Amino acid sequence: SAAAADVPRNFRLLEELEEGQKGVGDGTVSWGLEDDEDMTLTRWRGMIIGPPRTIYENRMYSLKVECGPRYPETPPFVRFVTKINLNGVHNSNGVVDTRAVSALAKWQNSYSIRVVLQELRRLMMCKENMKLPQPPEGQIYTN
Amino acid sequence: MAENSGTDPAVNTNADENAAKGGTIIMVTVKTPKDKEEIAISEDSSVAQFKEEISKRFKAKQDQLVLIFAGKILKDGDTLNQHGIKDGLTVHLVIKTSPKASGGSTSQASAPSPGVSSSNRSTAGAGNPPPASTANQSQGTGPSAAPAQPGNLLSGFGDLSNLAGLGMGSSNFMELQQQMQRQLMSNPEMLSQIMENPLVQNMMSNPDLMRQMIMANPQMQQLMERNPEISHMLNNPELMRQTMELARNPAMMQEMMRNQDRALSNLESIPGGYNALRRMYTDIQEPMFSAAREQFGNNPFSALGGSPDGSGAQPSRTENREPLPNPWGPSESSTTENRGAGSTATTTTTTSTSGSTPSVSNPLGVGSATVGNGIFNSPGMQSLMQQISENPQLMQNMLSAPYMRSMMQSLAQNPEIASQTPPASAPTSTPAAGANPSQQQLIQQMLQMFAGGSQSTQTPEVRFQQQLEQLSAMGFINREANLQALIATGGDINAAIERLLGSQPS
Repeated sequence: SAAAADVPRNFRLLEELEEGQKGVGDGTVSWGLEDDEDMTLTRWRGMIIGPPRTIYENRMYSLKVECGPRYPETPPFVRFVTKINLNGVHNSNGVVDTRAVSALAKWQNSYSIRVVLQELRRLMMCKENMKLPQPPEGQIYTN
Repeated sequence: MAENSGTDPAVNTNADENAAKGGTIIMVTVKTPKDKEEIAISEDSSVAQFKEEISKRFKAKQDQLVLIFAGKILKDGDTLNQHGIKDGLTVHLVIKTSPKASGGSTSQASAPSPGVSSSNRSTAGAGNPPPASTANQSQGTGPSAAPAQPGNLLSGFGDLSNLAGLGMGSSNFMELQQQMQRQLMSNPEMLSQIMENPLVQNMMSNPDLMRQMIMANPQMQQLMERNPEISHMLNNPELMRQTMELARNPAMMQEMMRNQDRALSNLESIPGGYNALRRMYTDIQEPMFSAAREQFGNNPFSALGGSPDGSGAQPSRTENREPLPNPWGPSESSTTENRGAGSTATTTTTTSTSGSTPSVSNPLGVGSATVGNGIFNSPGMQSLMQQISENPQLMQNMLSAPYMRSMMQSLAQNPEIASQTPPASAPTSTPAAGANPSQQQLIQQMLQMFAGGSQSTQTPEVRFQQQLEQLSAMGFINREANLQALIATGGDINAAIERLLGSQPS
């Protein structure tokens, strides 16, 4: 039942919250709760620092990540807030296509928000993406 | 009585201004992709105040700082409290090159992806002083495009140099590089730190990128014009990769240097050869060295590699440098003349191999500017010779290096290069090898032998065709014996004649 999955879910998300605050990882992605008062730990914010030697370099990409009630059994829902031209991200609204990101397409419950963000960053470094022309910095999706 | 925890201004000396604002002092870790600092700040501070502290510690301007915590960008007007930033937590920092929000300017001068706008950006870094004083500053996210100049290369590599440059307030790119060089010279650890930086290593493991950067340097281009081998080398990704690996691995370099030193001391014992080598090197070394030096500016690594005249620290970056095959064939005890000539040839070969740049194996000159110095050191070369004679395995190693082989082949097939290079590289004095036609020929033959020997694409008969003809014209009609003599002497006609005469009881 949904209730039975809550405890492990929340426990897991609290761990992720703590990791986000402690800067676990290499410092190229960051994540945290959208609203610190969100007791359901559902709505998260992520940040990806554009990788060097790509067109994304030095830009910061803000994302929204939503961890549903069945997380981590099901993958989170991810969308870019900062406008970006990247294969697998819808041009109109920044929604990330689950099929385009292998961490989402082949989600495992040992994955985490960090894993997803890091993979998106890796995608920016792929040959097919690293030189795509980008919208002016600072623009965000409005819908 | 109850006291405020740590808010007594008299107590908190180093956080005075923070303490004055009230609230507890917390330690917050500020992390860039390549750096980490702990900063003491009052928990009631605003983000702007926090940035003030950060700007001091990281030596960057406040408006270049972008702070991220838990996936959100911290705005100046926010407070740490409002974002939930507490003691022991980590905030991510990105230092932008310019506060402007345009993608082009913020990412300028960073090592670009190969091709495309790389020329644009790398030119900016390549020594044309960009208009903005901070133009060459890359934030912690990427190395700036660095041309072949060692200083330039390294000055891009990260906050250290860039921030230092910022701190010095120099608005001239070249100046900054000079400063960087000086710093490096005085602090070899910095170099190895830089080298170990994963960003650096990343960059260096991308041969395309390195090539772009090198080629973007006008000085490098000049060099390349003068010495086609360099472009050949640059175009060989295998070579670049090896070079980069060596550049990355200071331990390996040191290893090489030690080997060189050892071999050096041994080589002195070779009768006659030492003097010949010494002469050779002095003739070739100085002009080349000064030629190289004027091209590359100050060599910041001379300090690292030891003085040019002394220790003979020859970090032949690539093992290939050491094991030149023994040109005297199996008869180690051949005549002095042989050896002298052979040494000369080998010397010149190596010299040509070096392409008259400070380092053939490392066109970038990074860390291997010492290589260049070493090459020109008599002791360095001597150690090579010694190692050759001592250790056939080295020869194997060298020959097995892919680029070495192709280098040899191209040199062998194109003797003009070999004969051109010495004069080209030593404009001010005539290298003895280059001036001496018979030695030139010897060089060519040696090259052929190297190239041929490693792959056996040519039979000795073919290789020594010319010599065989000469010998038979002189009256040595025993073709078989001639061939053997030529093989034994590596194509040296004079030596072969001596052999033939000496063994002519029949």
